[in-house]
Amino acid sequence: MASGIAPSPQPTSLAVRSQGLDKIFPNGFQALSKVDLVVGKGEVVVIMGPSGSGKSTLIRTFNGLETIQGGHLEVLGHHLDADNNQKVVSKIRRHVGMVFQQFNLFPHLSILENVTLAPIWVQQRDRQAVKERAMALLDHVGIREQAHKYPSQLSGGQQQRVAIARAMALSPQLMLFDEPTSALDPEKVKEVLETIRALAAEGMTMVVVTHEVGFAREVADRVVFMDEGMIVEEASPQTFFTDPREERSQLFLSRIL
Amino acid sequence: MAESPRSGPRSRQLLLRIRRGLFASPLDTVITVVLAVLCGGGLWSFLHWVFLQADWAVVVENIRLYIHGRLPVDQVWRSWSWLGLLGTLCLVTLMPAGMLPRPVLRLLPLLWILILPIGLLLLASGLGLEPVKSRFWGGLQLSLLLTLGTILMALPLGILLALARRSSLPLLRWLTTGYIEITRGMPLIAVLFFGQLMIPLFLPEGWTLNRVLRAVLSLGFFVAAYMAEDVRGGLQAIPRTQLEAARSLGLSPLQTIILVELPQALRTALPSLANQCVASLQSTSLLAYLGLIELLGISRSILGNPDYLGRHLEVYIWLALLYWLVCILMTSLARRVERSLNVTGHH
Repeated sequence: MASGIAPSPQPTSLAVRSQGLDKIFPNGFQALSKVDLVVGKGEVVVIMGPSGSGKSTLIRTFNGLETIQGGHLEVLGHHLDADNNQKVVSKIRRHVGMVFQQFNLFPHLSILENVTLAPIWVQQRDRQAVKERAMALLDHVGIREQAHKYPSQLSGGQQQRVAIARAMALSPQLMLFDEPTSALDPEKVKEVLETIRALAAEGMTMVVVTHEVGFAREVADRVVFMDEGMIVEEASPQTFFTDPREERSQLFLSRIL
Repeated sequence: MAESPRSGPRSRQLLLRIRRGLFASPLDTVITVVLAVLCGGGLWSFLHWVFLQADWAVVVENIRLYIHGRLPVDQVWRSWSWLGLLGTLCLVTLMPAGMLPRPVLRLLPLLWILILPIGLLLLASGLGLEPVKSRFWGGLQLSLLLTLGTILMALPLGILLALARRSSLPLLRWLTTGYIEITRGMPLIAVLFFGQLMIPLFLPEGWTLNRVLRAVLSLGFFVAAYMAEDVRGGLQAIPRTQLEAARSLGLSPLQTIILVELPQALRTALPSLANQCVASLQSTSLLAYLGLIELLGISRSILGNPDYLGRHLEVYIWLALLYWLVCILMTSLARRVERSLNVTGHH
């Protein structure tokens, strides 16, 4: 296999390509079966589906948080299959940012330290430069004044914006969002979605798992609907929300709209 | 109740509170009176003994022995300078964080590590000084040296053991689990005897280790097993999602341990670790039974002097006071560390 051997990845306009992806948990539960998905560079893909449909699992395979048991995965030119080569995974992680439902900021580090941690230790960049860039990123998400506070002193919405800045600090080529607003109070959802929307406007490639229909309508280039570990339907937001093809999509939409 | 303790003048409030707290019902009154009589009587006879009957000569005349052991009189300044350094370090550490410049604050952990070799250099030899044989080391100074040595050895070892115990390598995991379980299953005094007798057998030919170092090694290995469990508890308290965040940022497993897991685990484990440190101090007294003349050992040998026949009570009360003072010092140091880790009101 070519995985991990090619010195530099082929130039490609693809960010992610999964082919026949299988994820089977140790307890035998098949979370993903034969998932084929392509995400182009600069594209914003929103994944929707009922809980337990495998949408979080799918994007977690993209940066190796979940191993895969079958099929093939290409992320930013790096190839991964069921051997889950850790060297390839760590190469992928250097270029992929991820934002979690529960923010997962490091509670023992200040906001600024949360953002500078990876650039300093993973990319080993100059501390001063990293700090300046981190402050710029925090400014960008509107948290500059809180840089020296600790995560527990911030609201959920603010913490999630810090988490976005932290992921952006590695200058990723792909951002993964795993239900970024599901743990937030309703009035905080907007500020986080605004931040994500601004990123999309800058041309960032993103895969977003979310239940926010309004956001998907406005920002997504494509909506992917999953159920029971499979992709049921892929469509443009206009088509998906007004005229879904599959019965299961119609049922799902009738429940959430 | 109709009357609130908040009404009325202050003295009346106090009276009310006392009445409600101590004499609310006939039973409460009986309990209060009985306890007061018991405590008062005990305290009275204790004070009576302390000031009128006890003969404190056994303490006063031997202060030098209690503090420095049998260090030759012309070398006592070496012991004093170390104790002085240690005391200064304690004071600086206990100062409110705001009063210390940042560089000093950063240096503190290093200074705490260095204070041990400095003590050994000052006592043993080095610095062009005449060497003092380890059998002359003793008293409070030796107790402190043993405690510090034990903690500085047990803490890093305990952390490594805790990490090894959850390693993905089965052999390493089994070995550390076995080590921790077996060590915790043995009485400390047995471990100490074992150490004094067995360590020389394992050393390469021609090597010797003095009794003090053998004692520190045995104590360190013993306490490390307990500390490992405290650290493991702290590690288990970290949510899995923290590790996922670290991995998704590309941190290596080692970086994740050092930058994300240990800082959080140690913070959680700190109260229990401080507990182990205090217990280590008390454990050093067992070494009196292995011929070391640390605080308890030197006291026993003073009691062996016919001049002080039957002065056990005075000596042991004095000892209790000394150990208690060192304990208080250690707990306040621990609290200081806890506070400095907690500046943020972290949940």
